[in-house]
Order: sequence, then C-alpha cells, then structure tokens
Amino acid sequence: MAKTYDCLFKLLLIGDSGVGKTSILFRFSEDAFNISFISTIGIDFKIRTIDLDGKKVKLQIWDTAGQERFRTITTAYYRGSMGIMLVYDVTNEKSFENIKNWIRNIEENASADVEKMILGNKCDLDSQRQVSKERGEQLAIEYQIKFVETSAKDSLNVEYAFYTLARDIKAKMEKKQKEASNPSGGRSGVHKPTLNDARKPVTWLSRCSVL
Amino acid sequence: MNATIQEIEGIDDYWGPAFRSVYEGEGHEAFVQQLDDRIKQHDKEIEKLCNFHYQGFIDSIRELLQVRSHAEELHAEISNVDANVKETTEALCIRADELIRARRVELNIAATIEKMELCLPLLTTYSKLKSQVEAKRYYPALKTLEQLEHVLLPRVGPYKWCAQISSDIPRLRQAIRDASMADLRDFLENIRRLSPQVGAMALKQTQDMMGRSLANIISKKDKSQGLTASDGPQCPHELVDFSPLHRCLHIHTVLGAKNDFIQYYRSQRRQQARLVLIPSSGNLHDSIQGIRNYLHAVLGFFILEEHLLTAGAGLVSKDWLLDTWGMSVTKVASTLRTNTSLVTDPNLMLKIKDQIMLFINTLKCYGLPTDPLPLLLQEMAEHYTEVLMQRWVGVFRDILDNGSFLPIEVQNQEEYDSVMDKFPYDGEELETQPFPRKFPFSSLVTSVYVQVKEFIYAWLMYSAGLGLGGERRAGAARHSASLLLSRSFAGCLSALFRRPLPLVQLVQIIVDTQYLEDATVCLYEFISNITGSELVTTQAAGSMFQAARDDAEQQICDKLEKKVDEFLDLENYDWLLVEPIGQASSFVTDMLSYLSGVLTSLEQLPERARVAAVRAATNRIATRLRALLLDPAVKQISSGALYQLDLDVIQCEQFAAGEPVPGLREGELLEHFASLRQLLDLITGWDWSSYLHDVGIDGGKYTLVTPKDAATLLEKLKEAEQKSSVFSVLKKNERDRRKLLDTVLKQLKQLQNQDS
Ligand SMILES: Nc1nc2c(ncn2[C@@H]2O[C@H](COP(=O)(O)OP(=O)(O)O)[C@@H](O)[C@H]2O)c(=O)[nH]1
Ligand SMILES: [Mg+2]
Repeated sequence: MAKTYDCLFKLLLIGDSGVGKTSILFRFSEDAFNISFISTIGIDFKIRTIDLDGKKVKLQIWDTAGQERFRTITTAYYRGSMGIMLVYDVTNEKSFENIKNWIRNIEENASADVEKMILGNKCDLDSQRQVSKERGEQLAIEYQIKFVETSAKDSLNVEYAFYTLARDIKAKMEKKQKEASNPSGGRSGVHKPTLNDARKPVTWLSRCSVL
Repeated sequence: MNATIQEIEGIDDYWGPAFRSVYEGEGHEAFVQQLDDRIKQHDKEIEKLCNFHYQGFIDSIRELLQVRSHAEELHAEISNVDANVKETTEALCIRADELIRARRVELNIAATIEKMELCLPLLTTYSKLKSQVEAKRYYPALKTLEQLEHVLLPRVGPYKWCAQISSDIPRLRQAIRDASMADLRDFLENIRRLSPQVGAMALKQTQDMMGRSLANIISKKDKSQGLTASDGPQCPHELVDFSPLHRCLHIHTVLGAKNDFIQYYRSQRRQQARLVLIPSSGNLHDSIQGIRNYLHAVLGFFILEEHLLTAGAGLVSKDWLLDTWGMSVTKVASTLRTNTSLVTDPNLMLKIKDQIMLFINTLKCYGLPTDPLPLLLQEMAEHYTEVLMQRWVGVFRDILDNGSFLPIEVQNQEEYDSVMDKFPYDGEELETQPFPRKFPFSSLVTSVYVQVKEFIYAWLMYSAGLGLGGERRAGAARHSASLLLSRSFAGCLSALFRRPLPLVQLVQIIVDTQYLEDATVCLYEFISNITGSELVTTQAAGSMFQAARDDAEQQICDKLEKKVDEFLDLENYDWLLVEPIGQASSFVTDMLSYLSGVLTSLEQLPERARVAAVRAATNRIATRLRALLLDPAVKQISSGALYQLDLDVIQCEQFAAGEPVPGLREGELLEHFASLRQLLDLITGWDWSSYLHDVGIDGGKYTLVTPKDAATLLEKLKEAEQKSSVFSVLKKNERDRRKLLDTVLKQLKQLQNQDS
C-alpha cells in the first residue's frame, strides 16, 4: 500500500490558557480564525501534511488545554512529541513569565532531544502589548531556542513557525540518522527498543521509518 | 154722369172701371160736355185763386229784395268781426296748441311712470337675484326666481326685455343648480380632507373614555383648572360644516330634484368610500402612522354618514349606511390582513392591534357592526406569534453564536444570586461549596430561559385587552412558549449542529438542553402567575430537544470516528516486518489514550450519549483495522506484520474491555472486535482444521470469518512468505506448512464457490 506520507512528526502546543494555541493550530490547519473563544477540551490534535524538500511530512499537532484538570493527560503527550511550540501572549505579561515554568515542565516530561520554539502570539494587538519583542528574543537566546512573534488572527508567521520547527526536526533526525547509520545496510531505520526502555521516554527518532 | 166724374175725381188712379162704364154707356157727348164744364169750372177756380194770392206774392218779392241788402250788410259786418276775432285769437290758439301738447306729454309721462312702477319690482328682484347668485346664496336666489317668474313677470306687460328675462329664468335655474353642485363637490372634497381628523378625534375620545379612571380624571381636572373650557368642537362631526350640503339639499328640494340629489350624493359618497378604502400610503406595514391614517379616514367617513343619518333630512338612510359599511368593513379587514401579514416588527404589530381595538370600540360607540374585525385580531394574533418567534429565532441565534458553552462559574455570592435569580435551579448542593462555584449548565440556559420569559411577556402583550379569559390566555401562552422552544429554539440548535462544533460545546449543549427541558414546568408556573390562572400541571414535553440532542450526539460520534480515522491514516505498518517490535504501534497507543482522555472529558454527558460515543469509536477502530488487514492494495503480509497488528488489536481490545465509560453491557465493546479477533486467531493459530470443520455450523469458533476473508488473508501471507524465501532453501516443516497452506486455500476457494 502506497503511504500517503514519508514521515510523521508529532508536535505539541503548550502555554497558558488563552494565549492562542488553539487559534494558531486552527490557522495552520484550516487557515481560518475564529474570534470566539473555544475552550479546548483536554487534548486535541490536527493533522496537516506539508512538503519539506520534496518529502511529504505529516504533522500531527497536539493542542493542550491549560486547565489543571487535564494536566496529567497533557504530560502524557510530552513523551511522544518531537517538537514543542511554547506559546505566550504578548499582551499578557504573566503568560510570558510562565514560559520558564513550561520549559521546566518539558524538561521533566519530554524526551531530551525534543525540538522547541517560542511563539509570542497576538502581535497584532500592538496597543495592548505588555511584552516587547526584545524580551522575547532575550528569553529565546537564554534558552537557545528559536523565537518568532505570531498572529493567528492576521496569519502572521504561523506557517513560518511550523515549517521552521519541522525543518529543524528533520535536520536533527538526518544528523542522528547519519551518526547511527549502519553501513551494513538492511532495512532502514527500524530500531527495536527493548522492553526495558519502556519507562524512559522512547526517542522519537525511532518512529520515522522512511527517510 | 156726375157720379162717374166724381168717381174719377175721387180716385187717383184705377180709372179703368170708370172708363169702362163711360165707354160701355151712352152719352159720351154728355160726358165730354160735363167734363168740359168741370174743366171750365176748375179753370175759373184757379183764376180766382191766383187773383187772391197775387198781391201777397208781390209783397213778398219786395220784402225779399230788402232782405238781400240787409244780408249784404250783415255779411260785411260779420267779415269784419271775423277778422278781428282772428287777429285776437291767434296767440291764444298757439298757446292752446302748446297746452294740448304739454297735456299730452304729461299724460304720457304719467302713463309711463305707472308702467315703470310696475316694472321696478321686477327689475330690483331681478338684480337681487343676480347678486344672490353672485353671492352664491342659491337658496334665496331660487326663492327670488320663483317670485319673479310667478308673481312679477305676469304683472308686467309683454315687453321685449321681460321676454328676455323670462327666457333667462331656466338658464339661471340651471346655473344655480350647477353652482350648487359645484358647492356640493367642494363640500365632498372638504369632508374627504376632514374625515381623517374626524376619525382621529373620535378615536381619541374613545381612548380617553377607556383610559378613564379616577386618578386620571383628577389629574386631568387639575391640569385643566387653569384653562377655560375649550371652545373647540366637542363632537368629531362638528369639525365639518354641513351647511353647504344642507343648502344643496334645499336647493334641489326647491328644484324638485331632491331624490335625484340624494341618489347623487350617495353615489358620490360610495365612490369616495372606495377611495378611502384604498390606503393612500401604499404600504401600511411600514409604520403605525400608515395604519392610523387609514383607520382615521375610514372611521371619519362613517362618523359623518352616521351623523347625517341621525340628523335626518333623508340624505343617509340606515339601510344605505349599513350596506356601505358592510362593504367597507370587509375591505378594511382584508386590507389590514394583507398588510399586517407583512409586518415583521412585533412592536408595530402591538401598536396595530391597539389601534384596531380602539377602532372597534369606537365603531361600537357609533353603533356600527364590528364583524369581521374581531376575527381579524385573532388571525393577527397567530401572525404576531409567528413574528415573535421569528424575532426570537434571531435572539436565540445570537445567544448560540456568542455562547461560550462553558459551565457558568461564579466568583461571589452576588454573582451566584444573579444566576439563581435568572434560572430556577436547585442549588442546595452548590450552596455549600466555596467560591468560585460552578453551575452544571452554561449561560445558554439562563439566557434562553430569560428570553423565553421575555417572549411570554411579549406574547401576552398582544392578548391584553382582547377580553380573553385568563385560562384561555394561559393555555395559548403555554402553547406558544413550548412551540418557541420545541420549534424555534430547537431549530436554531439544529442549525448550530449543521456546522461542526468543538466537542466541548456539543457536550455542554446536550447538558444545557436537559436543564432547559426540566425548567418548562417553571415556565408554566410563571405563565399561570402572570395570567392569574390556575397552574396547569400537564407534563412538560420531556423530549422537546431530543432531536437536537440526537443531532449533537450524532456529531460527537461523527467527531470521534473522524479522529479515529485520522489516527488510522497515520498507520505506517511495514507489511513485511520480520519481527514485531514487541510494542503496540504508537498511533494505536496515542489513539487509545486520546480516546480515554476525551471520554473522561465527556463525563458530564448523559450515559446514553457517552455509550453511543464509545461504541461508535470502537466500532470504527475495529472496522478500520480489519479493512487494513484485508485491503486489496496490501499484497503481502508477513507473519511479523501480522503479529504486530495482532498486538495493536489486543491493545484496543484491552481498552474496550476496560469499561471506558459506565453503563455498558459486559463485554459489549469487545463484540466489535469479534470478527477481527476470530480472523487473527484463525491465522495466527493456524487453526484451519477447526475452521474447516466448523464452517456452516452455528456457534463455531470462527463463525464470523468468511471463507473469502480467510482466503484473502492467507493469500497475502503466502505472497510474503514466497518473497522472503526466494533465495533460501525451504526446510521440511516449512515445506509442509506451504503445502498445507495451498490445500487450505484450495478448500477455501471451494467453499467460496459453494457459497456463491
Ligand atoms: N487579536 C488576536 N487575538 C487572538 C490571537 N490568537 C488568539 N486570539 C484570541 O485569544 C483568545 C484565546 O485563544 P485560544 O486560541 O482559544 O487560546 P488557547 O487557550 O491558548 O487555545 C480567543 O478569543 C482568540 O480569538 C491573535 O493572534 N490575535
Ligand atoms: Mg485552546
């Protein structure tokens, strides 16, 4: 059966409630924006296939709810993620400050080699801005993470953000691939993690079978 | 002989007999003798006579000659006198002639004056007539004319100018008639203009009368104390000056055309009525003013006619009035019906209804029958309900469009109380909880509940004053309210469900509709409270929103199935896998944890809905996995791949067996996997003997596996094995297995053929 894609990347959107995660995802998957607030129930995902250097890459993007009630469910999804978007709201100081907590959260729950990116959303609301672009950049430098300001409403930098994250994941994967590549050949890329591995986060690199 | 002579002398003529006797006798000589003697005697006598008178004669001649000279003297004297007289009387004669002429003139003048005096009244009357006509005082003019014609003219002689006047009279009469007709037309024109004011005044009076209460009267009195009594008209008909009409009637009466006139008047008014009945401002449904003007005009028209009826004079008869009214009221009703059916503004409807009510009440005051207007009001009530519903559809749509569909959360007592004020909720349990408290329903419930009450208020506004009993009003209100919910609101919900909604909204909506349904009883209580009627405890239609809920549930199921599909689209099986990785595929584990996550978040849902959702999802998983296995596009399946899939199925079965939601029948979800499980068991267990043995027998281990499916899968297995062993030499047991495989395949094909 011909696969409809070459590669599957699982991405995760996190950040305080209301920063625009669902909107960003909605913009990226449906190219639309809805002004009304639609609360995310527990966890949800959308799938969009993009083209990266001639490869069909399927992005399964998980959207999490900020509510405490779903925190436990949410963290379970950290493990399988290959890329995480940390979203804050430029009109909300608190959401920016919380990015540090979210990064800690990632360190505790996600696999170590997960790709990250910080998004300062709602940059269209310049008049209400509380967090300057410079502070966002500063934070990104501090953690050595890429950063971009976005607007789900005006469709600004949303595509760019996802493509960048996907491209970084692909690059990292190819690098790992090369390092681990077995000159003796055989069928490509199928690692067989032992059962003991189960407790540790399974590295996502094992998932992409055709590269 | 003597005798004969005597005879002859005695007789003048007729001498015949005497001659005869002479002739016949003898003695002619004697006779002649005698005759001669006689003659001689006579001659002597004549001579004597002449001698006697001769002197006298001579004297006379002499005297005569004397007279002659006297006469001549006299003549001269007289001539003289005559000349004298002539001389002296000449001047006199001239004077006399003059006198005679003067006398004659005098007589003529007197005669003329006399005649003139006779003519004068005629002429003054005539000029009076002219000025009366000019001043349009036609009735006196006619009287004058009458006098002229019958009294004055015959009195005056047959003068030319009299003839002229005489001939002028019919023309004048016609002119007066025409002029009075023109006046009538002016009058008609005038009342057409004034009718609306008359109607307006009458309505106003009715309104004042109806709104008359003690407080009202007192406050009015206070207000009017400073003012003198108004000197404007007291009755609406006083706005119109009827005198031209009455004058016309008089004139025509005088002209002997009273009946013609009445007929003419009625036909004119009938025509006017037709005009009045066509609304002047085209669309009456635009504003209340249009309707108002229309009703004013109609009412004014008939008030004036009614006034003429009561005023007598015969211009308007009761029959005619009722007939005209009957024709008109039907038209009024149909005009109002057409126009109100286009009204979409409930406030306007209310205003129209009030206006019609007022109209009806005023009609009653004037003794005009009101049918079919009350019926119209009822029909309008239905339309009003429709209009209201339409409006509330908009309200509901707004509520739904702007709804957050999140449970209401209150931070403090004040907020809590405001929710409790709006919606009847048994908050006993919630009362004890600390803030922030969370209601189980969203603001949709409170908003809709409040709006339904608003609707009921608005709805009852129409029936106010219609004179319906409380029970009837309440009944109809209940009916409308539940119609509003079950039709309008449910319709909005259905429309809402036509587009995909986030799960959380769907869930909340299902919960919310339940609360709304339960609250209908309270709505009924509310209705009986405000209508002051007895509480009707008929069971509220419990399944008012069931259809909407079904839609929502269906959408939840569809959504979950779609998510399952998305996961299964991520499937990335290596169908030639040599050895399974010993772990379920990540898409399966992701999917199952996703599902359990979602199912937990659905815990608010009624059990029924959750069960339906989990059933739909599981069934979808089983169907898709089985389809994957039998997909004709997958040509080969290695046993390694088969084991991997089996492992994945086991994960799913564990999920299904773990009772992900309460309310499921034991093992119910597993049944969805049964046919897949049997197929997998058959192939992985290589249990062909039992399969072939049990085929067609009820209660067998593999009853759900058709020979066709079994053959398809076996074929794929065979393909994969052949591919992997192209270069290697087969071991004995492998050869046996291959043989068996071929045999089984053959038998399966046979079974298929039998079946078909
Ligand atoms: N002006 C503006 N509003 C946004 C933007 N992104 C999201 N919002 C609004 O912010 C609110 C929260 O968005 P949402 O996506 O639900 O946030 P989440 O809780 O992080 O998923 C919604 O009312 C959005 O319409 C943006 O880029 N610009
Ligand atoms: Mg969200």
